[in-house]
Amino acid sequence: MKIVTRDYLFARGWRSAAPILLLLPGFGLYLLIAVGPSLATAVYSFTDATGIRGIAINWLGFENYDEFLFRGAASRDNIAALWRTLVFSFFVTTIQFGLGLVLAVLLNSRLRGRTIFRTIFFMPVILGVAIQGLIWKLFLLPGGGPVAEIFSWIGWSSEFLGGQPRQAFAWVIVVQIWANVGITMVIFLAGMQTIPESLYEAARIDGANGWQLFRNVTWPLLTPAVNTNFLLNIVGSLQAWQLFLVLIGYRPGTQVLGYLVFAEGFGQTSGSVSSAFRQGYAAAASIALFMLVLVIALAANAFVSHREKKYLS
Amino acid sequence: MKKSLTWRLAAVLLAFGLIGAACGSDDSSSPATTAAPAATDAPAPDEPEPEPEMAEDVTLRVLVHQNPPMVEFMEAFNESFEASHPHITIDLSVVEAGDLSIATQTRLSANDIDVVGIFGFSNAAQSYMSGAVPPNWQTLIEAGLLMDLTGQPFVDNYDEATIADAGSFNGKVYSINLGRVSYSGMFVNKDLLAANGLEVPTTWGELVTACEVVKAAGNECMTVGGADGWPVFVGAYGLLGAMYPDQEALVEGLWTGDITWDDDQSVEMFRRMQIYTSDMLEQGVTGLSHDAGPPRYAAGDVAFMPTGVWQAPALESAEPDFDWTYVPFPGSDNAEDNQYLFGKYDQGWAIAADTPHPEAALAYLEAFSEPDNYQAFANAVGFIPTQPTAVLDTHLGREVAPFLANYRVGFEQYWVAPAGAGQWANGSQAAAWFSPFNEWTDHVALAAQAQADLQAGLDAN
Amino acid sequence: MTVLNPTPDAAGASVEPPSDEPQMDRSGRTAARRRKLFSYAILLAFTALYVGPMLMLVLTAFKSLPEFFKNPTGWPESFGFGNFVEAWEKANIARYLVNSVLYTAVATAICVFTSVLVAFPIARGYLKGAKYILLLYVVALFLPPALIPQFQLILNLGLFNTRTGFILLFLVNPIGLIILVNYIKSIPRELDESAAVDGCGYYRFVFKIVMPLIRPAIATVTVLHAIGIWNELVLPTIYLTSENLYPVTRGLIVFEGLYGSNWPALAAAVLILMTPMLVLFLFLQRYIISGLTAGAVKG
Repeated sequence: MKIVTRDYLFARGWRSAAPILLLLPGFGLYLLIAVGPSLATAVYSFTDATGIRGIAINWLGFENYDEFLFRGAASRDNIAALWRTLVFSFFVTTIQFGLGLVLAVLLNSRLRGRTIFRTIFFMPVILGVAIQGLIWKLFLLPGGGPVAEIFSWIGWSSEFLGGQPRQAFAWVIVVQIWANVGITMVIFLAGMQTIPESLYEAARIDGANGWQLFRNVTWPLLTPAVNTNFLLNIVGSLQAWQLFLVLIGYRPGTQVLGYLVFAEGFGQTSGSVSSAFRQGYAAAASIALFMLVLVIALAANAFVSHREKKYLS
Repeated sequence: MKKSLTWRLAAVLLAFGLIGAACGSDDSSSPATTAAPAATDAPAPDEPEPEPEMAEDVTLRVLVHQNPPMVEFMEAFNESFEASHPHITIDLSVVEAGDLSIATQTRLSANDIDVVGIFGFSNAAQSYMSGAVPPNWQTLIEAGLLMDLTGQPFVDNYDEATIADAGSFNGKVYSINLGRVSYSGMFVNKDLLAANGLEVPTTWGELVTACEVVKAAGNECMTVGGADGWPVFVGAYGLLGAMYPDQEALVEGLWTGDITWDDDQSVEMFRRMQIYTSDMLEQGVTGLSHDAGPPRYAAGDVAFMPTGVWQAPALESAEPDFDWTYVPFPGSDNAEDNQYLFGKYDQGWAIAADTPHPEAALAYLEAFSEPDNYQAFANAVGFIPTQPTAVLDTHLGREVAPFLANYRVGFEQYWVAPAGAGQWANGSQAAAWFSPFNEWTDHVALAAQAQADLQAGLDAN
Repeated sequence: MTVLNPTPDAAGASVEPPSDEPQMDRSGRTAARRRKLFSYAILLAFTALYVGPMLMLVLTAFKSLPEFFKNPTGWPESFGFGNFVEAWEKANIARYLVNSVLYTAVATAICVFTSVLVAFPIARGYLKGAKYILLLYVVALFLPPALIPQFQLILNLGLFNTRTGFILLFLVNPIGLIILVNYIKSIPRELDESAAVDGCGYYRFVFKIVMPLIRPAIATVTVLHAIGIWNELVLPTIYLTSENLYPVTRGLIVFEGLYGSNWPALAAAVLILMTPMLVLFLFLQRYIISGLTAGAVKG
């Protein structure tokens, strides 16, 4: 039995099967529930599958991809959704990252009540997307809602989620950040707590001010948390779409790629009545999304590793 | 740092100590593990349905979409049905309307459903629609998942047009439809018009004038629940219908190129849609949700509310004394063209072809279709009845009675978009694309864009 | 991938935050005070952004529907619990609660337990190809949800519309696994050595030594995973069709008509629904930072 490496410290011989035996249930479940269906999605993307029992499935080759990326004006809309996904991801990643860092820095000092603040900012994470969306639909109620009232005091008005696509889109960015900045903040906080106080003391003796402390001690030593947040934010924002479903629904000029996949696959594009089942096409769209996320995540990871070498060596 | 080091040392020492404790003795009392193993195993799955035998107990699984008055009626009906059929139990499940298609798809595929609530059949893919993806219901029938109901006695309880338009495919009946709704009309505030010396408008010109008059008097012309998006363009379906009274011909024309969104007639329609969206609707409707529409309208200072007949009960409960009528939206200059009510077939029933209990399922539909039961259903949900003997005996029923002879199926029920068409190709929704709901401000440009998006799809196949 | 491949480093979860005020002269003291005020101002502004929407939800839950339409923002006329009673009864919460608790508890327990058993040998490099197994989990972060193949799977296993089938959907959590792997790496390897020297078997070591030691990571993964199951809205619609199997979220739809929704009752139902997770979070939150510290940050 040579399944264990040389590092394995426990009893060898037949008893070295222990780690693999214990690993198998979890890993097997993973293959069954996650990996298998995902591979099946890739296969589906080359067919005209409908997801309905009794309908023959035909092999289409790259036709779904061709349609998604090149056919008619729909491809223009798909590519626009792709760009929109990137724009959404850019704003969410950068703002959430910045805000999370600011909040973490503030809460990492000896302020009274910092646990309470931390709990409050983390709270939306435990609500789930549907409830987050519902809360903000209420909060952004035009004509009498709290934000509308405040806007009216200073003579502003907004259509919020029901108006111009750009505005509605911007509000979804706001809600997405509101909902997830708590995680970013907590990861930063966790990172800051691993930085030894002695380094700050040493820097202070050298006469460093607050900004210099941050720049020269906190920031470089925060590298692992920075990298984690950077990648999690990018991947999370590229895949986020449920808030669009909950907050604005399927309207021209607002969909991101993830929403498009769901809508195509489950006939949500035209309000449920005469829509069609196009699982194959939706699978192709979702593989396109996967590729996009993979490419950006790999690029981001390359950048992050480079940065890590710079700071940590 | 010091503290952390101490702690860590302590933790490591403690851990080493535990090794001794855990490994040195054989006692099996476990220290606290946070994740308990799966002691509570999942309970046994539900037993599969037993094969039906005579008078054996059966459970009939019924699926409907969420619509509160209908669900309430269904619960009462099921109770009485169970009382008269003691061996049958009804298992009713309710899903959101948006999820009905996916629930139908999955449950039919899983053979886990007997009676399916299904929307009235819209247009099948026609011979002139090359490359069109067929609608859901057609796919289900072609997959052999819906039972052929042709010749069942209860089918005759419904009017022939309904069975033909909303429940048949290739000459066979697959669904009985339970009611129509109309969405192409508008509610009219009779008191407000009278106070301003106005008649109910019957042409586009009269409507424009009426709006000017009520606005000049400090009131509002129209309101609609704009926040939800779709009520905006549904409010303009009457305008579309008045400009193109034969909606089936419009769809065919758009596919064949005989009609284009940028021809003169259509450009004029887009112009009127923009006037409706940008001038006639009051300010702030972008924030008015669909269900907030009737309470807003009931305030009395708005002349018209273009929306579906289903909002009548909400309007009545918001203000019982409100004096209203419901007329077709006068979108055309020609009063003749403004007398049609357009709409769609709503909820209907179909039976899963593979149901283990065909007799029980048929008995269920038969009981439902009995005129008394059907009338009770129509009263509860306020649909325009599809059984010729039933009447809609409500305020709304009386108001729309004169137009029912001119009831027609609306554009959205015929429209199937060509694959590859762009997002602006369905020009019937253009009302929702003008400012303030979306970014378009020029109707000519939007008309050209709509046609370009449609043409791109037609050319791609 | 950096997040996912940290160097085994010492755990140091409980460092005190750096002090802002060592010995300073008076001007330094006022500067520090000003900075503190500034900090509070920012934090309070953000708190408003968080408390405001929640407050709106709570106030809505106490209004009648007409009252809500008339005055969505203001204080309710009275604080009655009518909406809560209505939500509790109409959404069948009492009946569905048992299911929700069962699904969440069982699936989370199995998921966390099996994940630890996968994470430990990977983190220690005890198995050949451990790197690739980890990579497989990392790739999963980017995978699109495979709803339809998953449905076909459950169907073919004969688990459609069963508790087992529904729980099966929630038995893996790639992010959770990665957090566990990273946390385990922060536990000194000497522990393994000494256990092995003592003749401790692998089973016993993992169950009795490792599991208690990684409690913060387990708490973190437990909370994150439980939240996901508890709040799930779409999957119950697809996989559960018998009413006696519904989780609580499935009951919410009674407030969403085809043509409108009953905001106050919905708000009340949502408040009821979120309470258990809130309690769970408040109980476990002290672990979460330390769990994430070693689980996601150590690099």
